[in-house]
Amino acid sequence: MRKWKWFHNFDKEEKWLNELASQGYMLVRKSIGYEFQRVKPEKAIIRIDYRTFKNREDFEDYRALFEDSGWQHIAGTRSSGHQYFKKREESGNEDIFSDVDSKAARYKRMAQMWLSLASIFLPLFAVLVSTGAIDAEVFLNPKALYYTPGLWEKAGTDFWGAFLFETPFALLRGFLWILLPLTLVLYVVFAFKANRRYRNDTDQ
Amino acid sequence: MSRDKNLPLTETVYYILLALVEPAHGYLIMQKVEELSGGQVRMAAGTLYGAIENLLKQNLLQPVRSEDSRRKVYVITDKGKEILRLDYERMKHMIAATQANFE
Repeated sequence: MRKWKWFHNFDKEEKWLNELASQGYMLVRKSIGYEFQRVKPEKAIIRIDYRTFKNREDFEDYRALFEDSGWQHIAGTRSSGHQYFKKREESGNEDIFSDVDSKAARYKRMAQMWLSLASIFLPLFAVLVSTGAIDAEVFLNPKALYYTPGLWEKAGTDFWGAFLFETPFALLRGFLWILLPLTLVLYVVFAFKANRRYRNDTDQ
Repeated sequence: MSRDKNLPLTETVYYILLALVEPAHGYLIMQKVEELSGGQVRMAAGTLYGAIENLLKQNLLQPVRSEDSRRKVYVITDKGKEILRLDYERMKHMIAATQANFE
């Protein structure tokens, strides 16, 4: 089973995954969406850490430490950030963190990741503007986006047919770049949200 | 006298440094910390991993060659030993002052 869902809060995400486990769906993979396998319903404890790793050895060492202390790594890759762990029955710890600060530090690392993504988009955007690939004049003269010869001299159904046919292409031609600043803004908002949660959690 | 900015150490950092007078990998550090503290300090995996990362950054620990291909092994550095000694002196003074004035 696959599910699409988006979380900004690790606690809520953990709760959701534990609930699905109790209904017999165990997380086995996470990429853009979540992938579950049908299992016997169980009262599972799943915990989430947020980390990326420079190399394979660091990632292996990290997983070995968790596995040694009773946490099975069930999903996550070297560069995925989100790392999912499931408590083994025999193990004693209820959480993968034993103090408030280290638990909150997940949000700090996540905020840094969103900011670094945004900082990749910013120069890209600047280059596209300075080379004229992004042309703000289309707002003043949207007609220039239509390439059909003699389009504006046509009338009636002839005009509407040709006009409506080309409109999607014209929009792509003129406004596709808007996705870029939108994505950038979205990343900054995500970074801000994660950082705010980090500050809240460490204040308590 | 200006005191080292790392002082005082937190209880967990103190025990991690003390545990690493002998080289050890992550899980062994966890067990040693629990043992040294008489069961008072029980660190979870995520917290220990972050603590080791910080101590490496501050140069108080260093990795050493490991026979286990999966698990990294660490040991305290000279700087780490110096800090540990300073914090030990600080606490000895506290104990002496307490004995003289409180008991």
